[in-house]
Amino acid sequence: MAFPSFLCPGPFDRRSFMQLGLAGFTSLTWPGLMRLRAASAPESAREKTAVIMVWLPGGLSHLDCYDPKPNIGTEYRGPFAPISTAVPGLQLTELLPMHAKIADKFNVLRSMHHLSGGHPAGSMTMLSGDPDTRDKSKPKYPDWMSVAAYLRAKEGIPRTSPLPNYVGISPPTEYNGPAYIGNAFLPFAVTGDPNLPNFNVPNIGLNNAAEATRLGKRVALRQSLDLLERRFDKERELEALDEFEAQAMTLLTNPKTREAFDLSKEDPETRDRYGRNRWGQQLLLARRLVEAGAEILTSSFSGPLCGRVGNWDDHAVNHHVFDALRFRAVAYDQAVTALIEDIYKRGLDQRVMVVVTGEFGRTPKINYDRSTGAGNASAPTGTLQPGRDHWPRAFSNIWAGGGIRTGQVIGATDSRGEDVVERACGPGDFLATIYQHLGIDYSKIYITDLNGRPTPIADGGRAIPELTRGGSV
Amino acid sequence: MKHPSTLQMIPPPSKSESSVQQGALRWQSEHSSPNAAPQLSIRVGFSRFRSVVARFTFFQPKFELRETTSGGSQHAASLKIRIRTLPLACFVLCAGIVLTGTTPLQAEDPAPVLTFARDIAPILTKSGCNGGNCHAKAGSGQNGFQLSLFGFEADEDYEHIVKEARGRRISPASPELSLILLKATNTVPHGGGKRMDVGSSNYQRIVDWIAQGMAPGKPTDPHLASLEVQPGQATMQRKTNRQLKVLAHYSDGSQRDVTALAVFEANDKSMAEADEAGLVTTFDLPGNLAVMVRYQGHVAVFNAHIPLGAPVDNLPPYKNFIDELVFNNLKQIGIPPSPVCDDATYLRRVSLDIAGHLPTVEETEAFLSNSDPNKRDQLVESLLASPGYADYFANKWASLLKNRRDEASDKAANFAFHFWLRDGFLENRPYDQMVRELLGATGDIASNPPVAWYKRVKQPELQMEDIAQLFLGVRMQCAQCHHHPFERWSQRDYYGFSAFFTQIGRTPTATAGEDVIFHKRGIAQAIDKKTSLPVKPTALGEAELNILPDEDPRLYLADWMGSPENPFFAKALVNRYWKHFFKRGLIEPEDDIRETNPPSNPELLDALAKHFVTSGFDLKAIIRMIAQSNAYQISAAPNQYNEIDQQNFSHFYPRHLQAEVLLDAIDQATGARSKFPDVPAGTLAISLPDNSYNRSSYFLKVFGRPDAASVCECERVQSSSLAQSLHLLNSDEIRQKLVVNNGRAHRLAQGNQSDQEKIRELYLATLSREPREQELNIALDYLSKARVDDAGKPARSEQIDRMAFEDLLWALLDTKEFIFNH
Repeated sequence: MAFPSFLCPGPFDRRSFMQLGLAGFTSLTWPGLMRLRAASAPESAREKTAVIMVWLPGGLSHLDCYDPKPNIGTEYRGPFAPISTAVPGLQLTELLPMHAKIADKFNVLRSMHHLSGGHPAGSMTMLSGDPDTRDKSKPKYPDWMSVAAYLRAKEGIPRTSPLPNYVGISPPTEYNGPAYIGNAFLPFAVTGDPNLPNFNVPNIGLNNAAEATRLGKRVALRQSLDLLERRFDKERELEALDEFEAQAMTLLTNPKTREAFDLSKEDPETRDRYGRNRWGQQLLLARRLVEAGAEILTSSFSGPLCGRVGNWDDHAVNHHVFDALRFRAVAYDQAVTALIEDIYKRGLDQRVMVVVTGEFGRTPKINYDRSTGAGNASAPTGTLQPGRDHWPRAFSNIWAGGGIRTGQVIGATDSRGEDVVERACGPGDFLATIYQHLGIDYSKIYITDLNGRPTPIADGGRAIPELTRGGSV
Repeated sequence: MKHPSTLQMIPPPSKSESSVQQGALRWQSEHSSPNAAPQLSIRVGFSRFRSVVARFTFFQPKFELRETTSGGSQHAASLKIRIRTLPLACFVLCAGIVLTGTTPLQAEDPAPVLTFARDIAPILTKSGCNGGNCHAKAGSGQNGFQLSLFGFEADEDYEHIVKEARGRRISPASPELSLILLKATNTVPHGGGKRMDVGSSNYQRIVDWIAQGMAPGKPTDPHLASLEVQPGQATMQRKTNRQLKVLAHYSDGSQRDVTALAVFEANDKSMAEADEAGLVTTFDLPGNLAVMVRYQGHVAVFNAHIPLGAPVDNLPPYKNFIDELVFNNLKQIGIPPSPVCDDATYLRRVSLDIAGHLPTVEETEAFLSNSDPNKRDQLVESLLASPGYADYFANKWASLLKNRRDEASDKAANFAFHFWLRDGFLENRPYDQMVRELLGATGDIASNPPVAWYKRVKQPELQMEDIAQLFLGVRMQCAQCHHHPFERWSQRDYYGFSAFFTQIGRTPTATAGEDVIFHKRGIAQAIDKKTSLPVKPTALGEAELNILPDEDPRLYLADWMGSPENPFFAKALVNRYWKHFFKRGLIEPEDDIRETNPPSNPELLDALAKHFVTSGFDLKAIIRMIAQSNAYQISAAPNQYNEIDQQNFSHFYPRHLQAEVLLDAIDQATGARSKFPDVPAGTLAISLPDNSYNRSSYFLKVFGRPDAASVCECERVQSSSLAQSLHLLNSDEIRQKLVVNNGRAHRLAQGNQSDQEKIRELYLATLSREPREQELNIALDYLSKARVDDAGKPARSEQIDRMAFEDLLWALLDTKEFIFNH
């Protein structure tokens, strides 16, 4: 019988630390926790830690994927049978067979929860720690990606990679952004379908040699004419301008950057393994870029592969929720597992953390409503079909890489998947875990907003110990 | 405690390193209060040190140093004394006194009663317990323990510590086992880590307080009346340090040294830092610095004057009081200013700063060839009279006044509001009148455009915060939930000020989202969230007003704003406009005016404010005064001395052109035009009425045009970025502007003038000056190379020339001299 425990960092509930499938089970002593706190991501000046976040806009149904409840009634259960996985005791649903095979390579966190029910509020809460549960048209606080990009840029540690440090491959943009940090910390955005043969990233390499020559000539001419530089060397702004232009020139002309974005350089088998579709190639590109030195990557799984409505928001009026999940399952399962496997296979797992999440889960109790249109995963207009609505009270996400212990199940929900009963974790903890991996001292850093008010970055959360390097049970 | 000559070591220290010395330090001190914790600053020879903060107890008739370290009977103080070049570490043990026990030493001077507000609350502040990130977090504190921010509400804190949760936080029978101490010392797990050491003076004081029975203090106890920092001001050399002393003066006339418990913060952290013990350390930059000192809700300021000491010989002539005050300040600090800039630089600079555009080629030629000695002053006049001035400043104020398009239906209102602003600047309506029109706006937007501001900002608190920050330079936001951390504003002040906005009635009009604004009859009052009592409209620092129900309180507010006695209104504006022209306000940030953030040149700010008021709040007059002064006309090229100065305007501080201005400048230079929706063709970017154009124009977005979401000008980000560089280097937009038919590159390629003249035109159009010999040669060289094909044979055509001129034009547009206003 699980005891309700709503203090996330408390290492007091031993049951939630059952290391299913792991050898050894250390009890958490006070020195152990202190060691855990002292552990921080290893960072040499050369190799900085990185995070790849796969974003599932609309909210992934936790009951149908990562937190199955096979023993409850059909009003809740959904049609997907549970399957066992490489981690004894952990069951996922039949939608995710490839996940099941490599379950020892990631962690399932089942006890995420918050109170923001709408897409804007839910996304802003998850991505920026905004405690306001009401929907807003624009984010008030900067998302973690721009915060991390900003803090890293401020560090001033010279980067060895020519790539921008924050890249979005079909990034989420609707309900998040840099807010008062400024548009300089928007991601370098790669949009479009990387699976298409004519996929081209603007500003990465020039179209032809003639253009490159011309640009080179222009820049050389400009440098010879730019006399202001010599008189104003001390102004940091001018230095920064030079730096950015140099970086821009590198992106435009350096063959290495062009290569990093060129998926044709990958083995066809690898491209197949990720899946020859938009999502698979998005994540493959993410892996290539992180290898080439990008540090903060996001990729949103939206568009036609989701179904008719283009996201995971499976209200009955939008999609037949179960058809929709079936529709997406293969591509999703394939792409995410390919990325996780690749991270480990290519030795990136210490440096790179992978997290896959949406802004909330979906209502455990299935409801029925009439479809508003036919399309992929949706019946013709007017047909009654099952759906699930927004559910921030409990949901799941998965974590891999980052030097963390894997094969864990963290937290639990009640028998219906409606509320968290163990190891509740909030958006602050989610953010803190990411910041911890990036070596950012989240509890001490404040960023001043436009009113001069110092604002915390992780909304008082603490890094989830099981998901930090060198720490856990 | 002043002179080392009264310091004796008994026995005298030996000269060997790391030897343990037994003995006592004795010295004369003017303090005799047992609970004082003065700091020992020893100067021996040529060095100066600060001591470990220690708790000293004294007994008659001799004074002895004793510091408790580990709660036992060993007492030790460690000092490092440098005698000439021999470092010497010595431990002083008062073994003799120790062995007689730890009973109070002074029979005739009983230990006074420690009270919470006076003795314990400051410890919580200094130890960081009651910061906004921990136990003073808004809502419920941290993990169930709530304190007031920085101890402003000591009575409540007493309740929470002593009485809440059945007193589980303290153990009267064994004070050292009190939970509050176990947590603070991290003896039991504490999320906040270790905030104090077991046995430290702070720790011991809390133990003593608990042991004594946790007296809360009576209302009749002497309370803290004022805070004094010594010295109040000083001249400090760069790269030196100075120890501050903080004295708390109580209502009964007593005083106490509270240096160890005060919180210190420098107002310009690039100039100096103040550490926890009150040691101020200056860096490289010369100028004027303030260190804010906080203790128990009171503040004091230490003003440091950091001279450079260089010879100041060649000053430009003084044209008005601005020059007098700026150059006097430079003389005092010892920073020689750069000379006045040349005509071309001035022409470009002042055109950009007043009217937001580059001078045309014709205007440039005319100005440069004009021999009238007053031409610069006349230029200022003509710029002020031009519509460019109205456009540029309407643009500035529109985003500050949140002229924002959230819905398509906002369009008409936004245009109307923008027109109202622009009209006001065109006819040079007095500033106080414009503010009055805005504040008291009544009716609907179509007939009275400033009403649109009330559409944007709906709650009284937000209206008050915006007005305070924008027009008074006071950031009231913090005071909504607690006493302002750095200033004198309490929640009472906050709600009293917002009460001016509580009688605003709204009825919807036919247009969605728009209301008719009117004065609601009734007594204006707001509920002070702290006391739950109503407060009547109270202007900042003034008495509460009794406004009749029929009168619109906003007009009273407007009266107060425009009154010459208002200490904030004029200062805020002149500071803001100063920053507009000089990149750095006299107070930084420009909308954070407070006692603890003084101006870098107080006389200048006062003079500007006074001038503004006596001119009748004439905005053009203040701009004229600034733009015609020689202080504004100084060159941006630094000399060997003033290169380092970032505060005192010894040279012009160059800045990045703003997004709209840059776009217009590129258009003007290339002969292209940008198209914007909903406005006539040829509309300049600085004339655009609202933020919606940031969506349609990637250029404006990426170069930081603000979204009109904040009253802070800091929303406009002026720094460079990768995206900006990419856009300039490789975007279609820039490319198209260069190649546009009948644009400058095209016309130059077609034209019959000599190459020299063509290059000259390029320079006049982009950099507003003649090309230098070297530059001319580089450009001519480029042209000649372009006109030769790969095999080396001459290949001339209009097309080739056109491409070459596009390259030259691009190169000039990408120089820092173009992108920066210098």
